Amino acid sequence: MTGPRLLHTVGVRAIEWLWAHRDGFRLETDVDPEVGFLERFKPIGELAQVCKVLFREGVAGSQQSRLARQLLDHVWRETLDGGLMLVRGQRTEPFSPVPFEVYLPFRELGYSQPGIERAATLNHRLLSCAAFETTATRRLGMSAFQRRFGLTPRPPEAESYARTWLARTPEPWTVEGHTAYDITHAVFHLTDWGEHPDRLPADAAAYLETWLPVWIDDWTDLRRWDLLGELLVVDACLPRPTLDEQAWQAFAAAQQPDGAMPAVREMPTGDPDEVFDIVYHPTLVAAFASTLATSRSLSDLAAAS
Amino acid sequence: MEQSGTSALLQGVVQDLASGVAAALRGGGPAVFPGGVPPEEPPDGILIAAVRVLGADLLLPHVLLHTPPAEREVTLLRRAVDAFTPAADAAPTVRWSHWGMSRGLHTAGVRYGPAGGGPGAEPDAGWLDETSWQALTHRLAVLAALAVPGEDCALARGAQRRVVDVSRGFVRAVRRRDWRQAAGAGRWLAVLDGVPETLGLGSGLDFVELMGGTDPVVDLQVRAARLIRAGVPV
Repeated sequence: MTGPRLLHTVGVRAIEWLWAHRDGFRLETDVDPEVGFLERFKPIGELAQVCKVLFREGVAGSQQSRLARQLLDHVWRETLDGGLMLVRGQRTEPFSPVPFEVYLPFRELGYSQPGIERAATLNHRLLSCAAFETTATRRLGMSAFQRRFGLTPRPPEAESYARTWLARTPEPWTVEGHTAYDITHAVFHLTDWGEHPDRLPADAAAYLETWLPVWIDDWTDLRRWDLLGELLVVDACLPRPTLDEQAWQAFAAAQQPDGAMPAVREMPTGDPDEVFDIVYHPTLVAAFASTLATSRSLSDLAAAS
Repeated sequence: MEQSGTSALLQGVVQDLASGVAAALRGGGPAVFPGGVPPEEPPDGILIAAVRVLGADLLLPHVLLHTPPAEREVTLLRRAVDAFTPAADAAPTVRWSHWGMSRGLHTAGVRYGPAGGGPGAEPDAGWLDETSWQALTHRLAVLAALAVPGEDCALARGAQRRVVDVSRGFVRAVRRRDWRQAAGAGRWLAVLDGVPETLGLGSGLDFVELMGGTDPVVDLQVRAARLIRAGVPV
């Protein structure tokens, strides 16, 4: 089991990198319509979600919390123009769930943009929303977002979950990269990003407790840091996290001196915006995994004392 | 060159023997050269070395199907046991596979071992509880010849204690496309109780056969695992 110091340090450095590279969270207002204006919203929503976890768990130091809050204020004020860019996105693609999903963690942290809320409420009433074709895990996420906002999920989360890969606990040797991401995201949505580990169904928890060590072992050896980080989050959501020392040592060693986490193998080089687009996600995941694992590690220490 | 030529020859003979055992598991009959002696029988030293590599599995069809072993199979196994006595500091897998051959002779009714009383004391088994699940699976897969129904030795008991770890090792081997290790681990799982239902062992063995079954050693292990799972009488 990994000690809290190493777990914590990974997250501190990740937030430092994200703050230093905050301009990478950018929109492209003159984007090719084929690409879509909403394409660049995803990193902002993920940032808000991870910062929410960081504030919630209460294991960040004062410097880390301050940087996270400054980051959020920066993207809300500068990148999203106080939420007006979300409204613009909504008007560009009125029936897309993306602006609402990006907005929700901001709202949960005290930011407000009523225009998005009205659109979300209207969209939720549409048959089109319930009929939206997508993967089972994404559908579970949409239901979870609706519940968090105070709407009745359509379809109910239990129904959405039942259609996911994880719910059916399939043969563990068939897991590939994309399946592994489905598993991690099912766990994120089920537990509200680690807030309620007890909401993980018992059979899924037992399944993950048995097979997660194999997947962590494998993706550590393959040096797929982005996926490994997400699997380490899943570990921290289990009733008895392993906080696997070998995996965490490798994960921490992959992190760059400035805090960036490469997605796969080595750190890419080249145009700064392109590098940002490749490594922002694994770096956010590093902050996420670090926060949850530190929290669980400290809880275990407290329970043992 | 001579070394690699000998090594290739040895591997070829191991594969021939494994093919024979797999064929015998399919339809009975002798395990060694079931189609008759090949036109060029391997040099005696190579044949005995190949029997040592295959180990107790030379007699596996008779263990699982309860047919009497051919005289030649018993003789070959006995000669391999005598020719390759492990050194005192040999690796656990070497000592256990050698013990397994002696045990196989004893089971076949050959009076063998110290004073003809049995295969002798079991090698050290402490490592079974100390090694990582990855290394454990690797070693057990090498020792798959000892994975037979009803075997009550320290190795089998240790494997039973770590059935979930061996299951993890099976998944790891499949994912890494190490079909020999996967097949060996799968055979162990066939004799162990408490394999997680979610592993999907039956389909897993089918997948290992599909992907790696052209290797006679893999074929042998998968066939053995299937027979054991089907409940061959002990």
